[in-house]
Amino acid sequence: MKTEAKLWVRLKVIDLVAQTAWMTLTEKMGFAGDLCGMLRYSHWAMEVEGESAGAVCEAIDREIRMDSTFTNQNKHYYSLAVSGGGDEASSGDLRIDRDFPRGESGGRIFACDLFVSEQGGGKDEGYASRLNARLDGAKVTGMKSGEVWRILVRAEDAEEAARKVEEMAVTRTRKHGLLLNPHYQAFEFIGTAEIDGQ
Amino acid sequence: MARSFKDKVAIIQFPGVNCEYETADAVRSVGLGADLLRWNEDAALLEDAIGVIVPGGFSYQDRIRAGVVSAKDHIMDKLSELAAAGRPILGICNGAQVLVESGFIPGIHWERVDLALAPNVMEDREGYYCSWIHLLHGGTDCVWTSAIGNEKVVPAPIAHAEGRFTTDDAAVLEEMKKNGQIVLRYCTQAGLIDSSFPVNPNGSLENMAGVCNREGNVLAMMPHPERASWLRQVSEDLGGEWGMKRRKAGGDSGKMETAGPGRIFFESLKRWKEGGE
Repeated sequence: MKTEAKLWVRLKVIDLVAQTAWMTLTEKMGFAGDLCGMLRYSHWAMEVEGESAGAVCEAIDREIRMDSTFTNQNKHYYSLAVSGGGDEASSGDLRIDRDFPRGESGGRIFACDLFVSEQGGGKDEGYASRLNARLDGAKVTGMKSGEVWRILVRAEDAEEAARKVEEMAVTRTRKHGLLLNPHYQAFEFIGTAEIDGQ
Repeated sequence: MARSFKDKVAIIQFPGVNCEYETADAVRSVGLGADLLRWNEDAALLEDAIGVIVPGGFSYQDRIRAGVVSAKDHIMDKLSELAAAGRPILGICNGAQVLVESGFIPGIHWERVDLALAPNVMEDREGYYCSWIHLLHGGTDCVWTSAIGNEKVVPAPIAHAEGRFTTDDAAVLEEMKKNGQIVLRYCTQAGLIDSSFPVNPNGSLENMAGVCNREGNVLAMMPHPERASWLRQVSEDLGGEWGMKRRKAGGDSGKMETAGPGRIFFESLKRWKEGGE
């Protein structure tokens, strides 16, 4: 049976890369009024053949816990969610649907998940073959890896939030865009949600 | 006495760089003055400088993407002004990443980011790679390479993880080629362009190792000329004329202190200055 597995991993300690991005966007690039918080995750989205969502989840979970390419339990929280055939299964110590940075209150705040991946380089194939060499009873048939920036912005609506995030993220000129260089990185929004004022 | 960069080359010290002192020494080795300027000092001091070098290292620990955080620093406003006015500016390795992320290179559309220095793509390995490589010089007149003859080969060391010049804009690439902006290309010891590893050590498009702006006053190069400015810095294992020279000089401290192949980039600047700028 074909299933979809999503693995989210983030540091347990303060993420200095996200902190630097925050400071650069707010102190040097003029987004102090819009940006309410940032988190950064490593992200793997996989297509996996297996007996059931539960069996796939168990097999992948066993491997990622033992392979620091994906998670190191001394350093990372993670969330693994598998769905397929009407079933769902999950594992890990991170509640991705509730993982928001503490930020400012006031106004409407949207959390935008921006997935950034590298074009070329063969990393995805490497991750897939690494897992397939060890998985028991499951086979990874598709892999998309990258980083997700969860960016909280103040906006009137979801469209405006996405526009602001794109403006922050995509480097077009010296003064515009920070998080990705479109000449070798691709991006897509994989989730946008309004969150309660914090 | 007030601090001044008159008759000196300014080396910008962003937090995390680690080649600033040897770059200053390499500039001094050709008889020019050099001094460091911290990124948060008064950028107006750069007004008097002969030129500016953004040295190698790991500015801001390469966080987010190598060079991008420095590119957003206020000091880059002054560098942009100086570069547009024709002042020589050189970015070495991490400095090259800063200039690319600032849109000074290729600079066809000033300050538009038209290139990337992406992670290396190499055969059977990934990440950081250090080695000596060979550079074929050609293209337009560039302040920083003017003392190198056309079609001449210069050996130099590289050390980087994100050195692959690339663009997704075919028109920009064509324009760069038409303008002769690709002044340094990875080549064999004999000067042949070969796109495979290890001749091209990072998968760079068109074997690009150094790209200048149209006007030739700004150069971004991944190899480290300051690490090849004395013969003692040359690898004993290097093939060709420079390797032979180095092996012959073994044990002779006088000869070891003579010029290495990388010094020619700084000699080029001196030639430009003496030629009346």
